[in-house]
Amino acid sequence: MATTSIPEDSFLGRHQFLLYRLFSLAGFIPVGAFLIVHLLTNASVLGGAAAFQSRVDLIHSLGPLLPAVEWIFIFIPMLFHAVMGFVIIATGVPNIGSYSYQGNVRYTLQRATGMIAFAFILWHITQLHWMGAPVGGGQFDPHHAASSAAVALKPVAITLLYATGIIATVYHFANGLWSMGITWGIWTSPAAMQRANWLSLFVGIGLGAAGLGALGGMRSIDVEKAKEIETRMYKARQMLDGGISAEAQQHSAHAVSLSRESSSVMPAGSTSSANKEKRSKKKD
Amino acid sequence: MITASTLLNSETIAEHEQSPQEIRVRVLRQDAPGEESYWQQFAIPYEPNMNVISVLQRIAAISKAQDGRKVAPVAWDCACLEEICGSCAMLINGRVRMACSSLVDNLFKETPGEIELRPLTKFPVVRDLSVDRERIFHSLQRVKAWVPVDDSYDHGPGPRISPEEQEDAYPLTTCISCGCCMEACPQFNKIEVVQREEESDEELESRKQSAYDQQFLGPHAISQAVRFNSHPTGSMNADERMQSLTGQGGIQMCGNAQNCVAVCPKSIPLTRSIARAGRAATVWAIKKFFDR
Amino acid sequence: MTQPRVLVIGGGLAGLSATMRLAELGVHVDLVSLVPVKRSHSVCAQGGINSVNAVTRQQGDNEWKHFDDTVYGGDFLQHQPPVKEMAEWAPRIIDLMDRLGVPFNRTPEGFRDQRRFGGTLYKRTSFAGATTGQQLLYALDEQVRRWEGEGRVKKWEFWDFLEPVVDDDGRCIGAVCQDMVTMKFKAFSADAVILASGGCGLLYGRSTMSMICTGSAVSRAYKAGVKYGNAEFIQVHPTAVPGADKLRLMSESARGEGGRVWVPRKPQDARDPKDIPVDERYYFLEERYPEYGNLVPRDIATREIFDICTTDGLSVEKDRLCVYLDLTHIPRETLDRKLGGILEIYEKFQGVDPRNAPMKIFPAVHYSMGGLWVDYEKNENGGLVEGSPRNQQTNIQGLYAIGECDYQYHGANRLGANSLLSCIFSGLFCASGVIAGGKKNTRDETSPDFIAAVKKQEEIHQAILSRPAGESNPYDIHRQLGDIMTRTATVVRRNDQLTQAYDDVCQLENVWQHCSLSDTGNWTNQNVVFTKAVGDMFPLAKLMLKGALLRDECRGAHYKPDFSMPGIEATEPVEQRAEAERWCDRFEANTKKWLKSTIGVHGNDGHPVITYEDVDTTLIPPRPRLYGLVGGEVIEQVWKERTEKATETATVG
Repeated sequence: MATTSIPEDSFLGRHQFLLYRLFSLAGFIPVGAFLIVHLLTNASVLGGAAAFQSRVDLIHSLGPLLPAVEWIFIFIPMLFHAVMGFVIIATGVPNIGSYSYQGNVRYTLQRATGMIAFAFILWHITQLHWMGAPVGGGQFDPHHAASSAAVALKPVAITLLYATGIIATVYHFANGLWSMGITWGIWTSPAAMQRANWLSLFVGIGLGAAGLGALGGMRSIDVEKAKEIETRMYKARQMLDGGISAEAQQHSAHAVSLSRESSSVMPAGSTSSANKEKRSKKKD
Repeated sequence: MITASTLLNSETIAEHEQSPQEIRVRVLRQDAPGEESYWQQFAIPYEPNMNVISVLQRIAAISKAQDGRKVAPVAWDCACLEEICGSCAMLINGRVRMACSSLVDNLFKETPGEIELRPLTKFPVVRDLSVDRERIFHSLQRVKAWVPVDDSYDHGPGPRISPEEQEDAYPLTTCISCGCCMEACPQFNKIEVVQREEESDEELESRKQSAYDQQFLGPHAISQAVRFNSHPTGSMNADERMQSLTGQGGIQMCGNAQNCVAVCPKSIPLTRSIARAGRAATVWAIKKFFDR
Repeated sequence: MTQPRVLVIGGGLAGLSATMRLAELGVHVDLVSLVPVKRSHSVCAQGGINSVNAVTRQQGDNEWKHFDDTVYGGDFLQHQPPVKEMAEWAPRIIDLMDRLGVPFNRTPEGFRDQRRFGGTLYKRTSFAGATTGQQLLYALDEQVRRWEGEGRVKKWEFWDFLEPVVDDDGRCIGAVCQDMVTMKFKAFSADAVILASGGCGLLYGRSTMSMICTGSAVSRAYKAGVKYGNAEFIQVHPTAVPGADKLRLMSESARGEGGRVWVPRKPQDARDPKDIPVDERYYFLEERYPEYGNLVPRDIATREIFDICTTDGLSVEKDRLCVYLDLTHIPRETLDRKLGGILEIYEKFQGVDPRNAPMKIFPAVHYSMGGLWVDYEKNENGGLVEGSPRNQQTNIQGLYAIGECDYQYHGANRLGANSLLSCIFSGLFCASGVIAGGKKNTRDETSPDFIAAVKKQEEIHQAILSRPAGESNPYDIHRQLGDIMTRTATVVRRNDQLTQAYDDVCQLENVWQHCSLSDTGNWTNQNVVFTKAVGDMFPLAKLMLKGALLRDECRGAHYKPDFSMPGIEATEPVEQRAEAERWCDRFEANTKKWLKSTIGVHGNDGHPVITYEDVDTTLIPPRPRLYGLVGGEVIEQVWKERTEKATETATVG
């Protein structure tokens, strides 16, 4: 009853070390790095809808390049990390029943949270990202970031799913960071591993707070007020980039919601100028 | 290491103090490879200061199951009985331990009056509690765990070694090849190669070897590779060892569950070795890539 | 196909060092072992390995002194040329083991560190923590694994040696062995066979030895006609921890750090030892040896502890002989700092903290100085001729014995840290001779000699398996044999007891003939393997008892109170002198009569035939061992004058 044996001459066999190391690396850069940026961006919602919107705008300023960037730096590495992760999970036999040591519990949780995170992210993408639009998802509107997110996250069940997903993902990343440090030989002594434990705990708590804070922040957004702000910002951008108004028209999906906001007050000068400033910087 | 004994409350201790009259032993038996395993109960009189080895010796001497049926003695491996030969690793009350250093009185703190014995699960059963652990030594062969001396003639003393280096290497050299680390490792899987019809012993052996070659080396072998790579003469074939460590079934298979270090009867810093091997592999792989 | 083949039985230090050297010399080695070789009993050795070294050399030490200490420690019972050769090889052997990566403890400057051991004034002992044997064994195991990878060595682990195969010319051409997993038999054809199967401590039931030290391989060679030397010399270590399964060594350093040995004055006092007041404790070593106290020489400590339990009946426990070794008066921190390691072992195996409660200890059988008789060829310097086929060869041509299973190096008593040396030395040294003496064996395993030998073993095996159900089982018989041997043939030996024991052992052997097996299967049948091993203990047990019975003297580990030579009783100088003269006369007469190797041959009737062989003492003339003897200095003076006179006469003549 030999376990699933990979032939020595197979691609996976020959490049096992490289693949496992790339898997480990991918979890940190770019996937982990993206996680940090993503959660911190989201957490900016705590600073109000405008703050959040301006950060989203920054990301979306990549325009048509954004999908390419997303695929190359996020989705493909993440998919690779996930596929390799499943291969690795398949080759292990967790045994916390017999050996309930801390390290072993963490090892097992790492695998469990990896699977939860994978399922969560898939769902999260279909639910909020534009890619999910054809199947009834894609509820996130980058031009009305906070408000569209708030609407999408409002149901309690969804919030709970998100909380679970965020905790699992953050654990997976923070603990993975600790594990990665051993794999690459960054911390080698038991004492250094202990110190790295604190680091990973710190990162985990920080990111967890950011993630859950973002979730809470989005839920507590006053949708109507947020929409007003977002619409003002959207219009301001359109005015600045006159040439792309045609494109803006294409956001027909949002046209309905936008129409009611058209009468709203002009965006606060500060936000607008801040936005402008950033954009001009970008152009430099 | 947290054991059940440290979590014990005073009640159980009091209960334990009235020494039990007998020891009930449950043994998971298997007559030969490929056969069904089955549980058998034994009861032997309690004596103070017994260890699992002496329990098995008593069982062998009476050769009777609890129900009075005559049965063949339980097969198991042992030699030194002082936890240095590495023979007697088995699952005792569900956890991998050395039978010689597992005292009945301590086990009774986990399960009063009862002991459960099972063969290791990561190695093919030969019979009862005796398993085929050839793979442990095969891994040592894979990582070339030796100092590549020219010959055994007189060439004067070995290299000068500082006391610090000696103290660093010494714990690694005390590995008794018992297999506890492999048994507890969730990343280490059982390989059982069964002889096919009309297959010769040699063919079986070579099929076994190549099956072993593709799978995880195990923590002990990684630690030995680290030990020899840090020895002045041993490091002369460090490259070959790195090749094995980064080959299929190499160091990458480690999942950092760190059970190995927790169950090691000799308290060898296996995870330190693994991390050091990881660091060496990182450097080696990068160098190799750019030197190519 | 011209590659020579050698069969090595046993993979401890001796077997592995021989295998390594042979493989290096181009020989194909089949290495047979009861257990994976890395688990051999050599792994248990702790203390260290002796050799003259750079430091001791500058303090006046040399190979000759190491040789002298070994011979003096062994009470002159060993042939001197092999011992001299061993002492000369010792520094090179340590260097070699150092090169093989043994993690010897280091000085701050990075040189090998040495400690002092018993029986010498110099710090000759190199050590690797408290596991020197383990480290030496592993280094050799690693080299042999390397040769295994090259295809030069084939290991046959979990195989049992059953019998040497000897051709019509009386030359050993191989052996029959049995796979202990599949129970299949196989003949091994070889140009030479080397036995390196270690000691036979299991004859004594429980000892400090491993469960594999049954002596079965040696006994099977003995039954096949190999002579056995000095069987009665068995080393007993004074302090071991009695366990239900084995006796574990407790280092002498426990007493060195102030441990006190005592028993309650009231036999089997049931009180907690800490509740027994001091005046009800009998510190017998301190009372009987006020000068040395608890640190009396090893053999004396052994005898006294043994005596207090058996003769005086003061054992701490009724069913289990033991005395207290008490450290509880020493501060915890001191104990942890100086004795941490060994106290942890006690704690691990006894479940009792020796810092809180006195340890219970008793002497235990530790090493067999005797073993298979082997030859040597002496050179003009008194050492050995390297490459001579006679070295380490038994009286059967082509059959060699090395390590603990030969009788060559330790005489009547072994010095600490010399056993590891003798094992590695004999293994390395014999290789070239084995090759030189190897006559190409053209018969393969299908030749009639081998087929007949295998058939014979299969029949023996079947006969044992098909025995009718009997009352006794081999485990009980082994326990009884151990009891008899431990009671009569360890520390103190008396002729009436030995005679009785011999009869008892013969009777027990009869019982064994009819003992029944609880497992008659043919797969990993440990029951039948053990039954055979127990059966093979009887010839050796009888040999030991007979040898001990016949040897009416005290020498090294062999102590018969009826023949002891007490010290000087007189107090008047003149009388003292006269008594010392008589003592020396008696010593000379005794030397003349008993300074001989006991040679046992297995008789056709199953009883040993014992003869005596002269010992080569041409290099260092025998002298009395006076350590701790009352009036020893007077005797020493008289002896000195006698030797001087003898030398003068010799020169004048």
